[in-house]
Amino acid sequence: MTGINKNILRAALVISYILVIALVVFGISSLFSYLNTGADRSSMLHTEIKKVEQYLPKITWAPLNNEGRAMDAQTLDQIQDDYLDAWYVKQVSYKTNTTVGIDDYYTESARKNIYDNILLNKKETISVESTTLEHHPTLEFFSEDGQLAVITDYDVVEYKRVLEKGKLILETSEQSTYKIILLLEDGFWRIRHLIKKTTKPYKRQNKTIGTHAIDIKGINYYPQKNPWQMFNDDFSKDSISKDFKIIKDAGLNSVRIFVPYEDFGKAAVRPKKLDKLEETLNIAEDNNLKVLVTLFDFYGDYSVLNWSLNQRHAEIIVNKLKDHPALLGWDIKNEPNLDFESRNTTLVTAWLNSMIDLVKSIDEHHPVTIGWSNAESANILQEKVDFVSFHYYEDLDNLEKTYLDLKENIPNKPAIITEFGLSSYRGLWSPFGNSENDQAEYHQEAQTVFAKNNIQFMSWTLYDYNKIPKEVIGRLPWRKQAQGCFGFIDQNGETKPAFKYISGK
Amino acid sequence: MKLKFTYLIITCLFLLVDNTSMSNTVKDDFKLLTKVNQFTAGDVIVLEFSTSKNSKPKLYISHSYGNTVLKPTLKSDILYFTFPKTISNKAGVINWQLLSSDGTLSGILQIAPLAEVNTMETYLGPPSIAAGGNDFSMLVVMPTDVYDNTLPDSTKVNIKHQFLDNEYNNSVTTEHGISYLNIFSETKSGRMLVSSECMEKNSKEFTINVLPNIPTNFIIDFERHHEYADGNQVTSFSTSIIKDTYGNIVSDGTYVAFYISNQDEAILKTSGTTVNGIASAKMIHPDHEDNWSVKALIEGIAESNSLQLAYKSALSDYDIHFSDDNRTITVGPLRSFMNQMIPDGLEVSLSVFKDEKLIKNLIKPSFEGYATFTLDDNNFPNDTYNFEIEVAGIIKPVTNKKI
Repeated sequence: MTGINKNILRAALVISYILVIALVVFGISSLFSYLNTGADRSSMLHTEIKKVEQYLPKITWAPLNNEGRAMDAQTLDQIQDDYLDAWYVKQVSYKTNTTVGIDDYYTESARKNIYDNILLNKKETISVESTTLEHHPTLEFFSEDGQLAVITDYDVVEYKRVLEKGKLILETSEQSTYKIILLLEDGFWRIRHLIKKTTKPYKRQNKTIGTHAIDIKGINYYPQKNPWQMFNDDFSKDSISKDFKIIKDAGLNSVRIFVPYEDFGKAAVRPKKLDKLEETLNIAEDNNLKVLVTLFDFYGDYSVLNWSLNQRHAEIIVNKLKDHPALLGWDIKNEPNLDFESRNTTLVTAWLNSMIDLVKSIDEHHPVTIGWSNAESANILQEKVDFVSFHYYEDLDNLEKTYLDLKENIPNKPAIITEFGLSSYRGLWSPFGNSENDQAEYHQEAQTVFAKNNIQFMSWTLYDYNKIPKEVIGRLPWRKQAQGCFGFIDQNGETKPAFKYISGK
Repeated sequence: MKLKFTYLIITCLFLLVDNTSMSNTVKDDFKLLTKVNQFTAGDVIVLEFSTSKNSKPKLYISHSYGNTVLKPTLKSDILYFTFPKTISNKAGVINWQLLSSDGTLSGILQIAPLAEVNTMETYLGPPSIAAGGNDFSMLVVMPTDVYDNTLPDSTKVNIKHQFLDNEYNNSVTTEHGISYLNIFSETKSGRMLVSSECMEKNSKEFTINVLPNIPTNFIIDFERHHEYADGNQVTSFSTSIIKDTYGNIVSDGTYVAFYISNQDEAILKTSGTTVNGIASAKMIHPDHEDNWSVKALIEGIAESNSLQLAYKSALSDYDIHFSDDNRTITVGPLRSFMNQMIPDGLEVSLSVFKDEKLIKNLIKPSFEGYATFTLDDNNFPNDTYNFEIEVAGIIKPVTNKKI
């Protein structure tokens, strides 16, 4: 017995010795490999480019006809980049009353002017949120040694919000012309002199687009499989084609679709998404349907420094679709009045105002509207939109009065209800909810009111959905369930009783 | 679609609250009393408004570099807004707006720069240019006043420069805050001194280096101690003084490459850089009779004449001695042109053939006039071989030697 025990003891000793050694080796090797991380040669020099576009106002150079040395495209690009960055850091400085980055883009004698102003504003707790939306620079002079350039930047459109102790005291749009002398220092084109030459208040006059020809009987559309994420990988031409045929056959003539801002790539719009959007309009065209395109879905920031990025996003989309025969018009933003509280009414309104200006400056033929979530908000910016649109989910008994009141307020522009509907959810979370028959009744009644008052409409929505992203109405199941049952066709693809009243025919 | 009725109600309430707060403000009747809207940098700018209700609205001002809001001082029904010095000192346009409830009073002020020069900011470049009158350097002059404002357009600036015996004075005017002059070179190289003056304020002195223009074609010559191909002496080549079109000696250090092509059409290359316009280079003599054709190039720019050189063979003949077993071959004595022993290091080549097939080529430098080859029996087993010996281009075959 003792002999066996001794062998066991030996074996145990040897094994534990091996284990300890293995552990030590493992420990040393992990320490060694840990110390070696970060010493990767490819990352040592930080050569990767991490440029993020954060300021993209519309910049249009006059044809080059400068004195001095002939300008080349690359240098002009560098000058433009640094010049716009100079505006950006200045705007950040005035917003936060700090001076970070100013010394990179302004020479020593020029930056003094900004520092002094910031000191002054800091003392008075004044901050200025501002952006520029348009630049029209002309290169006046470029020195022979390539170290000095003079630019006149004509008609710079500036939007400013002046706040005192965080409270808005002035909102202003100005159009100014600046003369700028830039020096190439340490690889930066720095502003040496910045002189405002002229300035005037800015107000764009847009052409109102006649909308008497439109007669909308439409529906809001998301595919059943991927609602609110229409342009993701599940995008299917066939199913959209099938759905559009159902819509057309039901006697409707238009659809309202949504372009999500972030999903489309913000300012750098993804070409693939854009193609899918165009494809959707092509299918609509094939089915003889018109499309109301709603921009900026799932966007709620509105901060002044992001405006230039928002505008580049809209510019790309509007440019792509403005000549499409299936395009009905532009809905700038879905229910922006819901952001009034969290993002400030004046800020959201100013954002919408300037976005309408931008869309209208690119597309002169298609009407523009804002999809307000209630009729009360529809007065806002009514002079800027071509037709007024609002959503109606309240009691149908008040619909006629609401509509007629609105028409009285805004007599010369069509008012269109671009969303209305009733959820037929009755179940665990809402045992006394509306039944499918209640929904049918609702639509029947709505169509009666529409017919009586000749109201153009777009209903919510074709399908019942079971997958609803949390971004739409949050995670709460009773909301999700209700949201999923607004359709005319249920989750199994069967038409619900309401389908009979989809178009009032 | 977002079903947020509570939000709607809150929004409506919010709007209502907002509207009431707007209508609460007291109506006051403000009038601008300041009639002047043209100022000069450095002036004290005070905007005065009359007020009927003694309320104290603030004043928004926007200038070239930014925006701010000013507080008034109220004295006997007049509001005084004094502009900070940092703003009133800078030329340009200022727009202002009185932040009263109706916000209708607004205007524009013009601030002109001071008509006095305080600093002459000058930028000169490029710092060196080529002679000949085509190349130029640009002097940019940016005169500024004491508050660092650029002067108005059409301000006269004198740009002066001196070169050799001449002094020049050109008058230019400012545009976009700057004035500039292209200063062209003349036919001579040298230093040009530049300065400028505006309203009796003078800049400091700047220098432009006028360098010679590109070289023109030149002539080369050679020098050697004898004409024999001894593989030992050195032939020197040198250029004439290389000049540009205008007679300026090219800059020191101009690179000249000499290309030598020999009878076999092989190319030898040597090079030198110029000092005082002359470049020289050397090449060792060939070790056999040869004809050289030499040409020098400043690549892509200028070339020389072509020079022909003949080298006579230094060695006219030599002996070959085989040892008894034929395994040791002695070549020599190798005698030069005066029958002196040729200097050590002349290349002697021995080729060993077996049935017309080259087995080995052995090369040795000569030593004290002789070269000795030993054929070891590992590489060369006993047999009959043919040999070929070459010294200074003279080939001597030896056939059917048994070793």
